[in-house]
Amino acid sequence: MDSLLHVLVVGLLLGGIYGLVSLGLNLIFGVIRIVNFAHGELVMLAMYGAYVCYATLGLDPYVSVLIVVPALFVVGVLMHRLVLQPLHAESSMQIFATFGLLILFQNAVLALTRGEGYSVPSKLAATTFEVGDIRVTMSRLVIFVALTLAAIALHVFLKRTRIGKSIRAVTQDRQAARLMGINVERTFTITFGIGAALAGLAGALLAPIYTLSPGIGGNFILAAFAVVVLGGLGSVAGAYFGGMIVGLVEAFAGFYIDPELKQAIWFVIFLAVLVVRPTGLFGQAGAEDVGFREQT
Amino acid sequence: MSGANTHTVGLAPDEDAARVAAEAPDPALGLISWRRVALLYAGGLFLAALPFSLLSGDLFWVNLFTYTYLFAGLAVAWNVIAGFGGQFSLGHGVFFAVGAYTTVRLYLGWQLSPWLGILPGAAACALIGPLIFLPTFRLKGSFFAIATLAFNEVALVMSNYMESITGGPRGLQVPFRAGVANMIFTNPRAYTLLAFGFMALALGVVVVLMRSRLGYYLLAVREDEDAARAAGISVTGVKLRATAISAGLTALGGGLFAMYVRTIDPLTLFSLPDIGVKFALLTLIGGMGTITGPVLGAFLIVPLEGYFRAALGGAGPGVHLILLGLVMVLAALFMRRGITGALDAAWQRWRHARPK
Repeated sequence: MDSLLHVLVVGLLLGGIYGLVSLGLNLIFGVIRIVNFAHGELVMLAMYGAYVCYATLGLDPYVSVLIVVPALFVVGVLMHRLVLQPLHAESSMQIFATFGLLILFQNAVLALTRGEGYSVPSKLAATTFEVGDIRVTMSRLVIFVALTLAAIALHVFLKRTRIGKSIRAVTQDRQAARLMGINVERTFTITFGIGAALAGLAGALLAPIYTLSPGIGGNFILAAFAVVVLGGLGSVAGAYFGGMIVGLVEAFAGFYIDPELKQAIWFVIFLAVLVVRPTGLFGQAGAEDVGFREQT
Repeated sequence: MSGANTHTVGLAPDEDAARVAAEAPDPALGLISWRRVALLYAGGLFLAALPFSLLSGDLFWVNLFTYTYLFAGLAVAWNVIAGFGGQFSLGHGVFFAVGAYTTVRLYLGWQLSPWLGILPGAAACALIGPLIFLPTFRLKGSFFAIATLAFNEVALVMSNYMESITGGPRGLQVPFRAGVANMIFTNPRAYTLLAFGFMALALGVVVVLMRSRLGYYLLAVREDEDAARAAGISVTGVKLRATAISAGLTALGGGLFAMYVRTIDPLTLFSLPDIGVKFALLTLIGGMGTITGPVLGAFLIVPLEGYFRAALGGAGPGVHLILLGLVMVLAALFMRRGITGALDAAWQRWRHARPK
C-alpha cells in the first residue's frame, strides 16, 4: 500500500513537469497548428536564462522567472514573426523551419558553453518535507503548484479577456474570425509568444532539478507531444490532465513492469488514443480534421 | 504573401496558375515516350555520377559521395509516400533500422551474404510497414506526422530492450572480413558505387511508378481524398501500396548503410536529425513531390554538412551545425517550393522575359 501511494505521488509530480512543458506547446499546436519541434529548445533556452540570471545577478531561479518569462515571450514573438508567419501557407515547410531552429538553438548553446554542464542551485528547491512516509522535494511541488496556477490563469485568460476570445475565435474558424475584424496574424503572433513564455516558465522552474545541457529539450518534447494529443488540442484541461496521465503511466509502468519499457508503454497508449479518439480526451470533435491543405 | 490580410479566398489568376504549375509533378511524365524517359533517366544518372568521377581520388569526397548517393536514394523512397502521397511520415527511421538490423543479424547469425540478407528486411518492411501505418492513415497532416514520430520512439525503446536481437544499447558490430560475398570492401569506392546503384534503383522505381496507374491514383489521393474516393479509387489501398514501395526501398538503404558503417546501434539508427527526419529535410529542401527534388536536396545538404563539419569542426563544438540550422531556416524562407520550385520559377521567368 505504501509503495502504491509512493508511486502515485511520484507519478503526479512527474506529470506536473510534463504538463507544464505541454501547456505552451498545446496552445501553439492547438491554435496555430504548427508542430513546433523547437519547443523543447525554448525550455532549454529558459533554463540557461535562469542560469545567466543566477551567475550574473545572483538571482534564485524562482525569482528569475520574472525576467525569463518576458524574455521568452519576446523570443517567441520574434520566432513567429520572422520565420513561421512568412511560411503560414506551407505547413510542411514550417515543420522544416522549426527543426532548423532546433538545430540552431541547440548548437548555439553548445558552442557558447563548450559542452560544459551547469547547475542552478536554489536553497528553496533543495528542501524536502515528509508526509507520512513519503518524501516530497520542494522543487517538484513548486512545479505542480505552478502548473495548476498557470493552467487556471490561462483558462481565465482565454475565457474572459478580449485577446483570449480572439485566440479562441481564430482556433474555431480563421476565415470567420477574419471577417469579424480580428487580426488573425497578430493573434497568432501573440499566441506563439504566450506559448513560448509558458515554455520559459517551465524552463526556469525546471532549472534547479536538472543539470543543464544543450540537448535537454529532447527529454521533454516527445512527452509533451504525447500529452498534447492525449489531452486534446487547444484544451487547457487536456494539457493538465494529459500531463498527469503520462506521468502516472510512466511511474506505474516503471515500477510494476520494467523501468526500461516505461516510455514504450506510454507511447503505445498515445498511439492508441490517437487512433481511437484523435481529438484527445478533452478535445473538441473535428479539431483533428484540419490537415496540411486546409490551412489557409 | 506577407501582408496576409490580403490573403483571403482565392489567389490572383496568374498566381494561381503558377502555383498549379509549380505543384504539378514533373509535368506530364506519362505523355512522353518510354524512350525519352529512358534518355532523361540515363542523362540524369550521368550528371549525378559526374562529380564523383571527378573527385574519386580524394577519400574525403569518396565518403561524402557515398552518403550523398545513399541519402538521395532514401529521400527518393520517402518522397513516394510523403511527396506524392501527401502522408508526411516521420517514422521511416523504423524501416531503415529494420533493414539494417535484419541484414547484419542474418550475416552475423547465419553467415548469410548481405547481398541476400538485405532482401528479407526489405520484404518484411514492404509487408509490415503498410500494416503499422494502417491505423494512422485516417489521421491527417501534423497528426500523421506525430503518430509516425511516435512509432520511431517506440522502436527506439524496443531495440534498446531486445538485446538478444539488436545487441541492445551497445549495438552490433560487423567484423572486417573483406570479400565481395560479404559486401565488405577494402576500397571505399565500391561502397560509393553501391550507394549510386541504390539511388538509381530508387529513381527507376519512382519513374515507373509515376507513369503507372498507381502513380496517378496516388496524386489524386493527395490532391483530394474525397474526390478520389468518389471517382472509384480505393484510397486506403493506394496509400498501402505506396507505403510498401517506400518502406521496402528505405529498408534496402538501411541494409546498405549498416554494411558501410559496420557498426549499428539504436541511437544512430533512430536518430531524428540524422535519419528519421533527415529524409524529410532533404526532400523538402529539394522539392516535395518531384522526381529530381529529393536527389537535388541530398546533393546540396549532405556535402555541405560534411564540408562544414571538416572546415569548422575545429572552431568549437556545434559551430558547423549552427551554420546548417541557419541554412535550413533560410532555405525554408526563400525556397518554399524547394530547389526544383526555385529552378522552375527562374526558368518560367526566363521564358517569359525572352523576346518573341
